[in-house]
Formats: sequence, C-alpha cells, structure tokens
Amino acid sequence: MRNDKHTQPRLTLCRGDILAAALIFLAAVALLVYFGTGARGNAATVQVWQDGTLQGEYPLAVDREFVVAGRYHNTVQIQNGRVCILDADCPGQDCVKSGWHKDTGRSIVCLPNRLELRLVGGAAEPEIDGVTG
Amino acid sequence: MKRLFPLFLALVLLCGCTAPPAKTEEAASRRYEATFLTLFDTVTTIVGYAETEADFSATAQALHDELLEYHQLYDIYNEYEGMNNLKTVNDHAGQAPVPVDRKIIDLLLFSKELYARTGGKVNIAMGSVLSLWHDARELGIEFPDQAALPDRDALEQAAAHTGIDSIQIDEENGTVFFTDPEVRLDVGAIAKGYAVQQVCGSAPAGLLISVGGNVCATGPKPESGQPWVVGIQSPAAPEEYLHTIYVENFSVVTSGDYQRYFTVDGVAYHHIIDPDTLYPADYWRSVTILCPDSGLADALSTALFTLPRQEGQALLDAFGAQAMWVQPDGSILYSPGFREYIRT
Repeated sequence: MRNDKHTQPRLTLCRGDILAAALIFLAAVALLVYFGTGARGNAATVQVWQDGTLQGEYPLAVDREFVVAGRYHNTVQIQNGRVCILDADCPGQDCVKSGWHKDTGRSIVCLPNRLELRLVGGAAEPEIDGVTG
Repeated sequence: MKRLFPLFLALVLLCGCTAPPAKTEEAASRRYEATFLTLFDTVTTIVGYAETEADFSATAQALHDELLEYHQLYDIYNEYEGMNNLKTVNDHAGQAPVPVDRKIIDLLLFSKELYARTGGKVNIAMGSVLSLWHDARELGIEFPDQAALPDRDALEQAAAHTGIDSIQIDEENGTVFFTDPEVRLDVGAIAKGYAVQQVCGSAPAGLLISVGGNVCATGPKPESGQPWVVGIQSPAAPEEYLHTIYVENFSVVTSGDYQRYFTVDGVAYHHIIDPDTLYPADYWRSVTILCPDSGLADALSTALFTLPRQEGQALLDAFGAQAMWVQPDGSILYSPGFREYIRT
C-alpha cells in the first residue's frame, strides 16, 4: 500500500470507478439473465418417437392436436407451450395420467404403443436431469 | 492498487456468473440422451456427454444390451430361446434342480440376504401370492367393468407356500431347486435395481441411468463437475416435483401407490403387497430411498413402503440409507440426513 500524505477526501469519480460500476451492473444483468428468467427450463419442441425412430417434431409455440397410431392410438395435444396425451385407447392409460409437460428433458411415454414424446430444445442444460417416482 | 480493487472484484464477479454457461457452450462434449422402451416393462433413459452422437449411442447401446440380458434372465412371464430364466425356474424347479446363469444365482443370494435383513419384508418367494394380484390387476386394467379383488382364501392358500428357505441354491453346480413345489419366485421388488447396480458398477463415469425411476448416477456431470438433478415426482400430480435433489454417485429409487394399480368399486389397489397382510400396504403414498447401491435402494423402497416410520428408520440406519416418506395426506417426512441432498 502507498503512503499518501495528502489525505483530503477525493469525491470525484475516476475512470476506474465508472468502469467498476459498469462491470458490477453488467454482472447484475448477467446474473438476472442466468438465474432470473423463468423460461430457462421450457422446451421448444416435442419429438415424437415410436419404436425407437423419430416420427416427427412439432414446435410447442404452435397449438395443435394429432393422433399417433400403432397398436393403440394416442391423441397428442400441444397448447400454450405445453404438451399432453389427451386421450388414448391403450390399457392402463399411464400416458394420459402423466398430464401436461413443458420442461426440457421430460418425456411422456405410452409403453403399450411404444410411444415417447420427448421435450427438447430451449436450454443447453435442462433444469432436471432425471425423474424418480 | 486500492483503486483497482473494485474493478478486480467486479471482474471476478462477472466471470463467476458468466463462466458456467459459456463453458457448456464451448465444451467439446455435448449432452445426449437415449430412451429405450424395451427393458423391464418400463422406460429406460440414459443421459451423458460425448464428443459425437455416435460415441454416445455406442455407450448407450452397450448399456442397453447388458440390461437386456438381465431383463431376459429375470423375466418370470416370458421364455427366451436358449436361456434358462426365472420363468424356467418357476416352471421346473419344483420337480428337479434347474441349471441357471451365475447372474440368477447372484440375484437369488442377494435377495435371500435382504429377506433376512428386512425381517421378511422383501420376499422373492412370494410369487404365488403376487401372481394372484398380478392377474387381478391385469384383468382390472384391461376390463375395468370386470375388475375384482383376488379371492381371500386363494391368497391365504398361496401364502402357505412363500417360505424363503424352500428356494435351494446350489452355488457349486449353479442350480436352483424348490423344496416346496408350490413356491414361486417374483423378483419385482429387487431385480430391476439389482440389474441397474450391476450395469452401473462397470459403466463409464459421468452418466445418469434411469430404469423406470430407478435412477443411478455414475459420478457427476463430466464437463462441469456438477451433480445431476433428479426430480421426485408428486404422487398426487405426476407433472409436479415434490423436491429436486442432487445426485452424484448414488442411486435414487421410489416406490409409490400410483405406479401400478387397478380400481375396484372406486377403490385403488396398488402393486406393493405387504407380506404380513397379503394386501396393498397403506402406510404411505410413496417412499423415496437414497443409497449407494441401486439394488439395495430398490429393496428398501419396497420394505419401507410396508413399514411404519420407526421400523423403516431402523432399516435405514442398518444400511446407511436415507428416505423421504409421503403420507396419505400429502405431508412429507424425512430421515435425518435426507435434507442434505435437497436442491429445491
């Protein structure tokens, strides 16, 4: 540390102060963008996989309804950025019971119809990596 | 120097919060995910990082193939050509010893040990009882208007043939024999977790493997070193999480009354049968177990589901595991160490 004999208070802003303030402001903005936006985990697209092959891809931004046929039939609904299986003729109805989903990395599955709706895109890292339950 | 300090501090702060996303974007490895609907009658998901999709697919396929072998060996409903599996054992071990793969011997030994250590709450010799429930459930799901409970007398007769000691394992000759010809194996409470553990044990580091909610991490995410985040599904609302937890190198397994069930006269009957009552256990809506061994986690989730809290906690203490119990009213109880893993 330097010995400064002139101890008068310095109130003027120097270039470093402004730079520091600017950097702190930028840091705050970056933090807000990184942690503050609720949209981070939302998927952009739903992929329709059946028997291990990709059958189609649909943006969640466009509302639509369609039927995936196979051994059974699943009616898929996309609405307000979310997707669900509205109706199905499979036994068990696990796919219908699993409800609405919008998070990247999540899936809705109908085992009897070998169908997986996979939510992708929107974030490099989804918020949730796996699900137990 | 003094003047530069805030500048330096600001730079550190700025780097600190922008670095993680930048790192994942610039990293050579990308995140990939593979799903299989062919194993253990459930959904298998493998998440990992690799430089190319082909690299990841090769890893995922190798794990699938290993799991498929366990799936076929431990299947009690279907036979496969050129293989003695648990269906072969169930069909023939009452007459004569059946030669089996070492993977079956090891599973049966592990299951017998857990029978002893859980006071009989995990009993693979309960197949005769469980098949009555299984048939009633399948019928009730397929034809809801014909749904009916299994006959009580039939359940009690079946329960007379659930002795674990009647399963005779000859390690030297690699055979299984039933001293009670009426006993049947059902490994549903343990086999999936055991298989996941065997496969995860030799899997590459940095993967998250989930077989029907039986989740096993083989170390943290490779690029960032961050733990994986696993959501614990709400029994009341499948699209919601009760908690998200950090998982790095252990397993998470949940048993719940909402996973497999059928409805008779408006009442839901789920698949976790208490060996002492022969009916679905009603202490909890779900029990989630955290512990290093996936097979143990699987067995403990079933055992704790059929036990009141204190007895469950005693088991957790004996095995060094943690649990979260969801009560019928939706409120949640935790073992003392569980909270350390909670993220949200």
